[in-house]
Amino acid sequence: MIEVKYFGAVADKTNCPTEKVPLGDLSLEQLLSDLDKKYQLNTLSFSIAINQKIVPKTTDYELKSNDIIALLPPFAGG
Amino acid sequence: MSASRYNRQVILPEVGENGQQKLLKARVLIIGAGGLASAILPYLAAAGVGEIGIVDDDVIELSNLHRQVIYKNDAVGKSKVQQAKRMATELNPTTKINAISKRLSGKNALDLFKHYDIIVDATDNLLTKYLINDACCIVNKPLVYGSIYRFEGQVSVFNYKNGPTYRCLYPDENSRSLNCNDAGVIGISVGIIGMLQANEVIKMILEIGEVLSSKILVYNLLNNEQQKYDFEKKENLVIDKSAFEAKYKTIENQVEEIAAETILDKIDTDGVLFLDIRNSDEFPKMNFKNGIQIPLLNLESEIEKLDKNQTIYVFCQSGIRSKTAMELLNKHQFKNVKSIIGGALVLNQLMEEGTKA
Repeated sequence: MIEVKYFGAVADKTNCPTEKVPLGDLSLEQLLSDLDKKYQLNTLSFSIAINQKIVPKTTDYELKSNDIIALLPPFAGG
Repeated sequence: MSASRYNRQVILPEVGENGQQKLLKARVLIIGAGGLASAILPYLAAAGVGEIGIVDDDVIELSNLHRQVIYKNDAVGKSKVQQAKRMATELNPTTKINAISKRLSGKNALDLFKHYDIIVDATDNLLTKYLINDACCIVNKPLVYGSIYRFEGQVSVFNYKNGPTYRCLYPDENSRSLNCNDAGVIGISVGIIGMLQANEVIKMILEIGEVLSSKILVYNLLNNEQQKYDFEKKENLVIDKSAFEAKYKTIENQVEEIAAETILDKIDTDGVLFLDIRNSDEFPKMNFKNGIQIPLLNLESEIEKLDKNQTIYVFCQSGIRSKTAMELLNKHQFKNVKSIIGGALVLNQLMEEGTKA
């Protein structure tokens, strides 16, 4: 399993702050595409972190067991 | 007097007389005089930061008071920066406060920033955050960033000792997020994030601890979870002076754009007109009481339908054609036309989020 954490407007769409996803042969790209289908995230802008490190969305990465992925949108309030 | 005023912080080994001198010599500029600034300003002033500038052109509204706690009930309708100056001066008359009653723009940002050592972002919209970030890169000043989404907050320090910038974290300039007016917020959330920003400022001045450079702190007020995420500098995202001038001065002089999230409260109200220049077969339909649809192709021939002195927010599907429409209206001596960034798609999304909120 991997864990996906959601923040801000992304968490509003997913209706949960975190969820576990079965690993399979999942790439980061495939995970993002699956999440987009499930939650219609394409209208939102966010950065991606793998294990607490922000990476480009297009990073070629095979997910490993216990990886933690975070979807971090910009905030605007002040 | 100074010795006894600051005694309890001076006796900290991390501060000392030397640290207090650094504080007294420091110059900090706070952009925005809202909820974040209401925490940042009093604590920096009380700690003895020598000179603090505060920039905002807004007046205090009743709906600000629950979170912008430095303003008193009888100050509604008055200038935020003047009232902020009054509060901070009463708190510590030895701190020099510069009340700058202006809207930050590409024209004034560079000159303004040069005078200060540290810039603090206490604004409430993404467009201004990119402007502040870019200006900080050009005049080489560190930027203390803080921002809120409902019960979550983010804090980071950009451009610190040549470290990464806001664009390295969020390269997509066309992204958007609701501000406090639209998303809702309690005062404590902005207070906590503002305090974390003030803490970074003090650490940078005193050169103690670990500054939140190359890291973003994400704080959830509902479950008290704090996470730090690392990010790296991307050299290709740093803007130079000529690019800055082209980007911001062009926009100001010829193309006035406005963020959709700042005008949601103008929908279905008098006084402004929403001009939809899309064709009638484009979706989503936007039926505002104060809206009118004139497709771009017909705009010039039907221009007499519009009042040249009225504030007009023009939008298309995504914010490209509306700039053309705005230029056309400006040519016909329209006085106050703005193009909505992201167009109907963004408006629609923000309105949907607003209904859910």
